[in-house]
Amino acid sequence: MTSPSLPDSLIATLPGSFYTDPGIFAQEQERIFESGWFCVARSTDLAKPGAFRTVDVGRESILVARARDTSVRAYFNICRHRGARLCVEESGEVKRAFQCPYHAWTYDLNGKLVAAPNLTKMPDIGRTEYGLVSVATREWLGYVWVCLAENPPSFEEDVIGDVVMRLGDAESIERYGIDNLSVGKRIVYDVKANWKLIVENFMECYHCATIHPELTEVLPEFADGFAAQYYVGHGAEFGEEIQGFTVDGSEGLDRIPGVAEDQDRRYYAITVRPQVFINLVPDHVIFHRMYPVAVDRTIVECDWLYLPHVVESGKDVSRSVELFHRVNRQDFDACERTQPGMASRTYAKGGVLVPSEHHIGAFHDWLHERLGTHQQQGRGVVSPGSPSGG
Amino acid sequence: MMIPACPLADLPRGEAFRLEIDPPVTVFHTEGGELFAIDDTCTHQDASLADGWVEACWVECPLHASKFNLKTGEVDAPPAKLPVRTHEVVVEDGMVYVKLSTAAPNLPHCVARKLVRISA
Repeated sequence: MTSPSLPDSLIATLPGSFYTDPGIFAQEQERIFESGWFCVARSTDLAKPGAFRTVDVGRESILVARARDTSVRAYFNICRHRGARLCVEESGEVKRAFQCPYHAWTYDLNGKLVAAPNLTKMPDIGRTEYGLVSVATREWLGYVWVCLAENPPSFEEDVIGDVVMRLGDAESIERYGIDNLSVGKRIVYDVKANWKLIVENFMECYHCATIHPELTEVLPEFADGFAAQYYVGHGAEFGEEIQGFTVDGSEGLDRIPGVAEDQDRRYYAITVRPQVFINLVPDHVIFHRMYPVAVDRTIVECDWLYLPHVVESGKDVSRSVELFHRVNRQDFDACERTQPGMASRTYAKGGVLVPSEHHIGAFHDWLHERLGTHQQQGRGVVSPGSPSGG
Repeated sequence: MMIPACPLADLPRGEAFRLEIDPPVTVFHTEGGELFAIDDTCTHQDASLADGWVEACWVECPLHASKFNLKTGEVDAPPAKLPVRTHEVVVEDGMVYVKLSTAAPNLPHCVARKLVRISA
C-alpha cells in the first residue's frame, strides 16, 4: 500500500494532507457530499407543511421543507432570479410560500414560482421552469436524506446497503422501528477535526479501554479492542452485572418491542457512509449526522431516540443519554487532539493501522474510489488534480 | 358594462379567475361559496391578486402581504395604501359575468403610467 517496509501487522492510513488540505476537502464536497445520499434532518423536524430547514451539503445550501401533501421536498436555496439566498434561517416555518427577500420572487412549497412583481406582464416565464431547482429526497428510519446528483445513485445500494453490510440484513434494523421513535434528547457538537477522523474513530475500538471507561464497563468485550463494526451482524454484549445501557449500568428505559431475543442486551454500531452513525441498544437508538463545514471542522448532530411514551411521560433519560454523550465527548476530544498532528511533517506519509483497525482500510478504499485518487507502490497516494502522478 | 368571465362550473370554491382586460379583474369564489370581483392588481406594486391567498373575504397580496377586502376593496395595512375597485358579479344561466365599476382604478405607479401612455 505504501512503504514496502511496513510489518505485516500494520497497514498505512491516509497521508496527513487528506485531513488538512482544503483542495482535497473541496474534492470530497464535490465527489462525495454533493454526489451521494446525505442525511439532513429528522423527519419530525419538519412536522407540518411549511416547516423547513436549511443545510449545507457540500458547497451548496439546501432548503428542505414539508409540502402541503406532507411529502418532503428539497431545493437549492437559491432564487432563480438573481441568485440571492432564499432562506437564511437554519430552521423555521412559512405559512404558504418562500419569498426571496431581494425582489420578492415567491415560490410555493412545491417549488413553483407563484408570484413576482410584474409577473403577469411576462407570460412567457414558465412558473415550473423558473421554480426552485429541486433535489432528490428519501425518508428512511424517520430521517430525510437528499441527493444533489442529477442521477442519484441507488439509495438501496448505498444507504440501506451499508446497514446490510454491517448487520447482515435490513430486517435487523427495522425491528427497532426507528421511524416511530421520539427524540428524547438532541446534542450538537462543534468538533474541530476533519470528518474522516470522526468516521475512523467511530469504526474502531482499539481506543475504547483507554478513553471510554464507562462504555467499556457496560460492554466488557470492548476492552479487547475489537469494535462491533469489525464484524458482520455482531452486537457487543452487555456485561453480566449490567442492567441497561446507561452511564452507571443501571436499568434503562422500556425495551423497544420489536427487538429480537438475540438482539437484547447487545450494542450494534453502523456507519452509513459518508456521514451517519447508528447505534442500536434494546431501549433506544443513538443517531449521529455529521455536517462537514471545513477541512478541520465538523458539526455533529446526535439524537437519542426512545419509545414515544417514554418521551411523552417525561421519564428520566439522563443516565441513558449521559453514557453516549460522554462517549461522544471522549471521541471528539481525541479527534481534536489528532487534527493538529495531521499537519506535522512526521505525518506527511500518514500513520499506521493495527490489525483491529484494518477494516478502516476499506473506508479509505471507498474514499479513493470516489475521489479518483489512486495509490502507487512505494510512492504513496496521488492527490486529486496532481499533474502527473507517474 | 357586463363582461362574461367563465362558466361557474369552471370556478370551484377556493379558486380565482383572472379576466385579461386592461386593467385586469379577478373573480374570487370563496370557500364560503360567495363570488366577488376586484381589480387584480395590487395598488402597491404590480402583483396579481389572483395569485394571492384568500381567507374569509380577504385576499392577501402574494408579494408584500397587504390584504384587500373582497366586498369593499379596502386595504388592511401597508405597504399598499389605496383600496382596489370592486365590481358587481352576476351569474346568469351558469355563466359568471362582471359588471365593471365606472370609478377610476387605483393602480400602482408603473402600471398607471403605462395605461396613460396607451390611451394617449
